[in-house]
Amino acid sequence: MTFIKTALAAAALVALSTTNMQAQGKAYGKQLTLKEKTPISAILKNPHAFHGKRVQVEGTIVEVCEERGCWIKIASDQPFETIRFKVDDGVIVFPLDAKGKKALAEGVVTVNMLTKEQAMKQAIEMHKERGTMAKFDSTKYMKDVMDVQIKGEGARVLE
Amino acid sequence: MLHRDVGYLAVALTIAYAISGIAVNHIADWNPSYRVTKTFVTVAPIAATDPNGIITTAMDRLQLVERPRSSFQPDSHTVQLFYKGTTYHVDLPTGKVMVEATRSRPVLFEMNQLHLNHSKRAWTWIADIYALALLLLAITGLFVIKGRYGITGRGAWLTAAGVVPIAYWLVYLK
Repeated sequence: MTFIKTALAAAALVALSTTNMQAQGKAYGKQLTLKEKTPISAILKNPHAFHGKRVQVEGTIVEVCEERGCWIKIASDQPFETIRFKVDDGVIVFPLDAKGKKALAEGVVTVNMLTKEQAMKQAIEMHKERGTMAKFDSTKYMKDVMDVQIKGEGARVLE
Repeated sequence: MLHRDVGYLAVALTIAYAISGIAVNHIADWNPSYRVTKTFVTVAPIAATDPNGIITTAMDRLQLVERPRSSFQPDSHTVQLFYKGTTYHVDLPTGKVMVEATRSRPVLFEMNQLHLNHSKRAWTWIADIYALALLLLAITGLFVIKGRYGITGRGAWLTAAGVVPIAYWLVYLK
């Protein structure tokens, strides 16, 4: 009888911890350490103020790198805005089925000025990865553009 | 005996790692874990402008009963509806819809998960033990055969030939 009680208690403990893990989502890369979240809109509004700073952002994953799972795009708190969360190839691999799920992600903001050629090359690569080359509009890349992204260190994808 | 028994133990993982290795090696040509299919349908254009109205109308046009787990508007004329395994990209003014279905490849998905150690935790240890077993197999394998076909004869030449790919990489590809 004692054995059954102990087994039931252990099973309940495992179930509880599994539920807790599911609520916390799946972890990728390093553990999240920051206590405060930064709105993505704040980063995009004034990127230079965040250049080199570690931030934690939250939002819906709206795109995942189809080829290697090496980046995700996270929707901003403001309409029509996203930020790219880029991780080192193979270090973190985001699954394609993460699309539409909420992510908590931590990393360092990087701001780079891209020449129009670099911007177009990057856009072509991204369109190839997304399989949307047919929709590629080269007229969007007629001048140099500012590229703001987060160099990703760790993330948690919530179910 | 050690070589034989460790060899038997390593068979299953070696097959899984080898198949997954080939699959992952060609990652530039295909996604080894997922099959993504894109199909196109056309529905009536959507004139709604408020986010909730856009989602409801798009669901109605696409005859979707369940609400999406989330949605996003990348620009004013596109909405994306995210369902488990399927994303609908709706071009509002034209009603053109790209239906993107993502399905994991049976067996290969699991093999790749093991190979790339997505689970972390205990699998890191299991993978380390497996790697040590391979190391043991490689070293003990050198001495399994004695005589002219062993490491003092033909085996030495073949072992040296096995270094050629590494030398090629060092000289030409590094």
